[in-house]
Parts: sequence; C-alpha cells; structure tokens
Amino acid sequence: MENHIRDFESAIAELETIVKTLEAGDLALEKSLQLFERGVQLSRFCHTRLEDAERRIEILNQSGERETAPDTLINSPKNGN
Amino acid sequence: MSGTPDLPLGESVSGVGSVRKIVTVSELTTRIRGVLESTQGEILVEGEIVNSRLWKTGHLYFTLRDEQAQLKAVMFRSAVRYLRFTPEDGIKVVARGRVTVYEPKGEYQIVCEHLQPQGQGALLLAYEQLRRTLEAEGLFAVNRRRPLPVLPRQIGIVTSLDGAALRDILQVLTRRHPKAHVVIRPVQVQGEGAADQIAQGVDELSHEEGLDVIIVGRGGGSLEDLWAFNEEPVARAIAAAAVPVISAVGHETDVTLSDLVADIRAPTPSAAAEIVIAGRDTLVDRVDRLKERLSATVRDGNRNRLTLVLDLDRRPGLAGWPTRLAVRGRRTAELTYVLTLSVRSTFTVLERRLRDAQLSLEAREPGRRLATSRTQLVAAREQLGAAIVHVSQRREGHFRNLAGRLEALSPLGVLARGYAVCWNADRTAIIRDASSVSVGDDVAITLRQGQLKCKVNSKD
Repeated sequence: MENHIRDFESAIAELETIVKTLEAGDLALEKSLQLFERGVQLSRFCHTRLEDAERRIEILNQSGERETAPDTLINSPKNGN
Repeated sequence: MSGTPDLPLGESVSGVGSVRKIVTVSELTTRIRGVLESTQGEILVEGEIVNSRLWKTGHLYFTLRDEQAQLKAVMFRSAVRYLRFTPEDGIKVVARGRVTVYEPKGEYQIVCEHLQPQGQGALLLAYEQLRRTLEAEGLFAVNRRRPLPVLPRQIGIVTSLDGAALRDILQVLTRRHPKAHVVIRPVQVQGEGAADQIAQGVDELSHEEGLDVIIVGRGGGSLEDLWAFNEEPVARAIAAAAVPVISAVGHETDVTLSDLVADIRAPTPSAAAEIVIAGRDTLVDRVDRLKERLSATVRDGNRNRLTLVLDLDRRPGLAGWPTRLAVRGRRTAELTYVLTLSVRSTFTVLERRLRDAQLSLEAREPGRRLATSRTQLVAAREQLGAAIVHVSQRREGHFRNLAGRLEALSPLGVLARGYAVCWNADRTAIIRDASSVSVGDDVAITLRQGQLKCKVNSKD
C-alpha cells in the first residue's frame, strides 16, 4: 500500500473513499484491516495539519519583502476608519 | 481676357469711391476668431454627444447637438484624463469650455475642459459603463468563480493599515483561528492612485509563495470613498489574480465592481474573515466525522458479516452450505486435536531430555562439574523455551491457515462461486421473495467483485 500522503485535500479525499469502501463491506478481512490502518494514518495526518500551525502576521512591502507586523497592529484600539 | 488691367471686377471693387481693403482668408479667419474668443468666455453648453472618437493621441473629438443645431467639440488629453466615464454617443452632457476657431478648416468648435453627464452622476455612469464592458467580457460569469481553498496556508489581505477593515478581519481571525498565518499588503484605499496600488497589491500578493486566498477591501464610506474599488485596474487585477479573491468593500448595501469580479463577495470585511475560516471549521468537523465512521466500520464489521452468513443460511438454494460449514468445523476440530498432540509430544521429548540432564547431573559429584552442568541445564532450558516458541508459532500458522480456509467458506466464497445477494435499495434487507419488491423498485446486488444498482423491470 502506498504510504505517501500528497497533501491535505488528497488525504481527506482518500480517507473518504476508504470509509465508504469499508462501510460498503464485502471486503476480505485482511483488506479491511489494511484499509483501516491507512485510514487511521490519514486521519492522523489531517488532524496534524489542522492543528499544526503557528500564528504569524506579516506585511508584504512595496519591494516584495515580508516583515513581521508590529504588535500594535493586532491589539490596536478602535480608531475609526 | 484675364491679362487686361481694367477688369469689371476690378472696377467694382475700387469704383465706389471709398477704397475697400482686401483681406486674405487667414486674416479674416483670425479676425473671426478674435471676435468669437473675446466675446465668449468660458461657457456651459448642454447637448447630446454624437460621433465621438478618441484619437490615438489621447484627444477626444465629438459633436454636441440638440434638435436644431450641431457644435463641433474637442477635449484634449490633459482633460480627458480626469473624466471618470467614457463619453459615448447618445449621452447628454453639460460641457464646460471655450469656443474657438480651428483655422486650417475654418471651423469653430468648443474646446471642453470638463463634461458632466446629465441625469445621473459621472460616477454612476462610469460604474454602469465599466460594468457593461466587464460583463460583456464574461468576467462576472459564475463559472469563472474559483472555490476557496478549504485549508488556506496563508491568508493575504489587501487594505489600508489603519483602516477598520484590517482591524475587523484580524479580530475575527484571532477569535476563530488563532494560528492563522496572515500576510498584509498595505495600500491606500481611497484618493488619487489608490486603484493602482490596490491592483498592484492584489497581483503581487496573489503570486506570493504559500498564499492561497486574498481578502481585498475596506470599511464603509461614501460612494467617492469606495470609488477605487469600481475602477478598471482593480477589477481586472482581481479577475486575473492567481488565487481566489474575496472582495469585502464597505457595508452590505455597497456593491462594487470588485465585488462582481471577485470569486466571493463578502458583505463586510469581518464576514470575509468568517468565510475564510468557515472552510477550516467544516473540515475539522468532516475529519472528526470520518474518524468516527472509520471506527464504526470496524466495530460493526464482524456483526454485519455474521448477519450476512445467517441470512444466507436460510436460503433454500444454499441449503447445502451450512452442512459444509459443519464439516469444515469438524475438520478444524480434528486438526486442532492433531496439533495439540504434536505439541504435546514435542514437549514430552524435551522434558525427557531435561530430566535426563538433571539425572546425569545428580549422578556426578557436585564439586567441580557443577558449573558445567549448570550451563548445560540452562542451555537445555533455553532449548526447551525456543522449542515451545517454535511450536506455538507453528500452531499459530496452522490456525491462520485454517482461518483462511474458513474465510473461503464465508459469504464471499459463496459469491465467488457465482451466487449473488439481492438487497433492497439502501442495503438494509435481503430480498428473498419477489413479492416484496414492486416493478420499478431499485435493488442492489452484491457480486463477488463490486455492487450493482438495478431496477426491477418485471417479475414472474
């Protein structure tokens, strides 16, 4: 079985197919187990991708460089338009 | 003859006594020009535009007319630049300018400084004109709209750094997705040059590595304030952006051309942030549900299998196979028994060797040979242990083999021999009796390989 997971979208698509296949039944026990293991692997991957991020706020300036935004930008009080 | 000096024409010109001065065409034209241009200062003329033509030089030529008269008009590039709408034929305008004479053609014309459309404001007219153009190009077509990425890696924002829009978006993101990665492109959102900045910002941001979606917009304001989002460069940049764009300009009631070309129009900047996050929320939910369903398949798997076996059992056509199963069951029992015997006999042999070793140990004097004997004993024990492991592994192998053979007798095995199972449409019950379905019903059929969805055509 292919262990590679390309990206989130393909992972969730594969997971969906696996669940549907398993739900349809009619699989040899061994195949079901294989699919189940792959399913667990995929759902772990999805969870990691969903939770594994770090808050970053950057500014892309006119010369195309990124800078970290000042804290005041995020916590600034209401100051009209 | 033309050569004679005393022509009648010559006489009539000079013969009245007072000598009239002959002027050239140029002199007369210049005089007319002087009269016209000095008596008429800057004027406002009302009329309908016809025959308008924008020259490559950037100057605009047209005719103003009403029911009785026409007036040639020109607007130079320097003035055309400030026009917000396109002066098309049929538009009624008030032109501000000066009357002048174009000497090479002997024509008088008005040189316009400004055109004000009548009926609706210039902005609305411009909006309407650009809207029509973009629509004709198909830029508002629903099928052009790209779906948002479900899980954007980086979220781009094109807006003013000190506007309400940015603050609102960041607040929503902080609350709903605290780990979001945001890249802001600060731009001026109103006034001279704003449109170009916004357009450039959208374009550049959309090509940033890792960025999957862009929110472009600003907080509420007057029609003038929001104007940049109705300008062509912005609309075109959004339409051409490399990633999906959410347009969020002003309040819910303001619909700009940016909104119309964007992949998604958000009623407000806060709503835009919610929309970007919504995909993620749905996704978390979807993954959770899939995980739950995945576990359920394994939980219910054996039960379903068993039900199927029992169902098949009751089929008269398959009457033979419970017996076969029983036969196989007995065979299994027999094999298990043989296995147990073989394991037992192996143990017996090893046990005897161990006992022999112990006996010979006892027969020798305990002194100096003790150490050697102990080693032998330990080795024998290890051997015994290994043998037990080996036997139990073999036994496991046997059982696996047996299980595999039982598996061959499972419903799947039956299906392999050509039987099929006919279910109702949602596969909750097996159909045993033709009277339990009606013509036209959907039924599902399980084959060894795959499923069929069928419709009942007729029944006997």
